[in-house]
Amino acid sequence: MNTLLLAASDTFVPPGPRDFEFPGIGGSFFTKPMLIIVLGTLLVAVFFYFAARSAQRVPGKLQFAGESAYGFVRNSIALDAIGHEGLRYVPYLATLFFFIATLNIFGIIPYFQFPATSKIAIPLFLAVISCVIFNAIGIRRMGFGGYFKAMMFPPGIPKPVYVILAPIEFVSTILIRPLTLCLRLTLNMFAGHLVLLLFVLGGEYLLRDYGGAVGIASGAVAIFGSIVLTFFEAFVQLLQAYVFTLLSALYIGGALLEEH
Amino acid sequence: MHPDRTGSGPAGSGRKGEQDAWGAFGLVVSGVLVWGVVGGLLGRWLDSRIPVLVGLLVGMAAGLYLVWFRYGRP
Repeated sequence: MNTLLLAASDTFVPPGPRDFEFPGIGGSFFTKPMLIIVLGTLLVAVFFYFAARSAQRVPGKLQFAGESAYGFVRNSIALDAIGHEGLRYVPYLATLFFFIATLNIFGIIPYFQFPATSKIAIPLFLAVISCVIFNAIGIRRMGFGGYFKAMMFPPGIPKPVYVILAPIEFVSTILIRPLTLCLRLTLNMFAGHLVLLLFVLGGEYLLRDYGGAVGIASGAVAIFGSIVLTFFEAFVQLLQAYVFTLLSALYIGGALLEEH
Repeated sequence: MHPDRTGSGPAGSGRKGEQDAWGAFGLVVSGVLVWGVVGGLLGRWLDSRIPVLVGLLVGMAAGLYLVWFRYGRP
């Protein structure tokens, strides 16, 4: 049995971080993740452009779809997390949600099958934008000194202790918040893609190369599992887009409220 | 115009748990990070390994205290 497993590991190359690096299409600098970003951006833009163009009082199918999608972000993210003032930030939040969701969903769309958001540059950039926005809102609301004072010096703590606590509050708001936003999305997409790859490639290997009753039985289970996991991935992809947007909204709401 | 649905209750009452969980996590992590790094630099300067340990423990304690201060009080 042991030798069999060893022999198997000689030929089966398990998926790894290398599967996230693509050569340029046709030898150019332009890679598949870049193509997905361009397509995803166009898709979202074109959808909302045509949904919003010549809006009628009685909406057509496309307008209805667009309004439902936008209304979801408006009602269950902006209004829920921020309150009435959140309406001003719906355009940003909706853009964020649909951009992330589209790039995520590319992970299970046949032929593409790669979530562009598993490349850390994209979530990192989005997280930095969110971070700049909620800090700018807080600073505009309370003034530069007032904002950082409210953030780093919550009232009710003995003065000398601030020396220890203030840097922690500062780092957790300025550094850890965007970092966790970014890493949560990136790694969820990274891990999800890896698991799908493992099930599909492993199943293929078991069915075709390993063979025998054991190989075919376990390969069939793996392939079936990959189908189930694809649906699970669709759920995770939408959920992570929602979580990213919701936390961005909560941070904005916190910056609006932070008046001690 | 719009059938306005003003959010459910005060800002983010239903979603507050989510932010609190990540906020608490962030505070503990940054506590350990900030004072661990300070302790590490101090230790490098003094050529000793004790400041790192002190820094990590102080940071963890301070982070946990902040979690209690922000979220744990009645």
